[in-house]
Amino acid sequence: MNDTALQPATQDIVVEEVLPHPPEAIWKTLTTGALMARWLMEPRGFAPVEGTRFTYQTKPAGAWDGTIHCEVREVVPNERFVYAWTGGHESNSGYGSPLDTVVAFTLTRVPEGTRLRLVHSGFVAPVNDTAFQNMSNGWRKVVPSIGTLSNELH
Amino acid sequence: MQPAPLDTVMRTLADPTRRAVFERIVNAQEISVAALTEGSGVSQSAISQHLGSLKRAGLVTDRAQGRNVFYRADPRGLAPLADWMGHYGVFWRKRFDDLRTLLKEIDP
Repeated sequence: MNDTALQPATQDIVVEEVLPHPPEAIWKTLTTGALMARWLMEPRGFAPVEGTRFTYQTKPAGAWDGTIHCEVREVVPNERFVYAWTGGHESNSGYGSPLDTVVAFTLTRVPEGTRLRLVHSGFVAPVNDTAFQNMSNGWRKVVPSIGTLSNELH
Repeated sequence: MQPAPLDTVMRTLADPTRRAVFERIVNAQEISVAALTEGSGVSQSAISQHLGSLKRAGLVTDRAQGRNVFYRADPRGLAPLADWMGHYGVFWRKRFDDLRTLLKEIDP
């Protein structure tokens, strides 16, 4: 038997929408603390400057205090905004389990306004696609949403 | 059946031989212990131990037929892995709804 068949693979969450507003207006909602608090969560210590570390407070779970630790990675005004998003605790399973991910917003001007694309990437799945080639529909539904970290698999 | 905790599922799949057994079961739809042992380079008792772990983790189910036991993968076994990411899938869709509302207000 070989052990290469089920390597960890990462999965992304992608949400994309065309919003009837110019990129400048959307950029403000993504990168202004007071506005972020109104649609996302209230950031602490936030500034839209590369290297800035900030946090979000979410619901605690077990040994995890619910703090999401973020670090600004990329700031291209009105175009692209990227930050690291980490949290969780090894002793948790499901909600609150370790997470080492990246959130990236990309804004593209379109005739109707702006296409806003969110990619939340880095959810680690313990299995890859080829392992599930012959799966039933039940598996196919589960696999795209698989995502969590396991230090044991690294 | 209550899904096994995530760490149990992870620990179970962390073993390369067991992962390979699991993968063969997934790809085979249903497979007997004898067929799993054949060509695996591992003894039948070792295979049986791995099957026991996979079963306890909720990743496979078994069915006895005559002298053979057949195994198939159980999709529900991976549910704990889906949970954390599923949480964020829902989270971001809801946040986008709130973002649309906010934009209407600040950029009417």
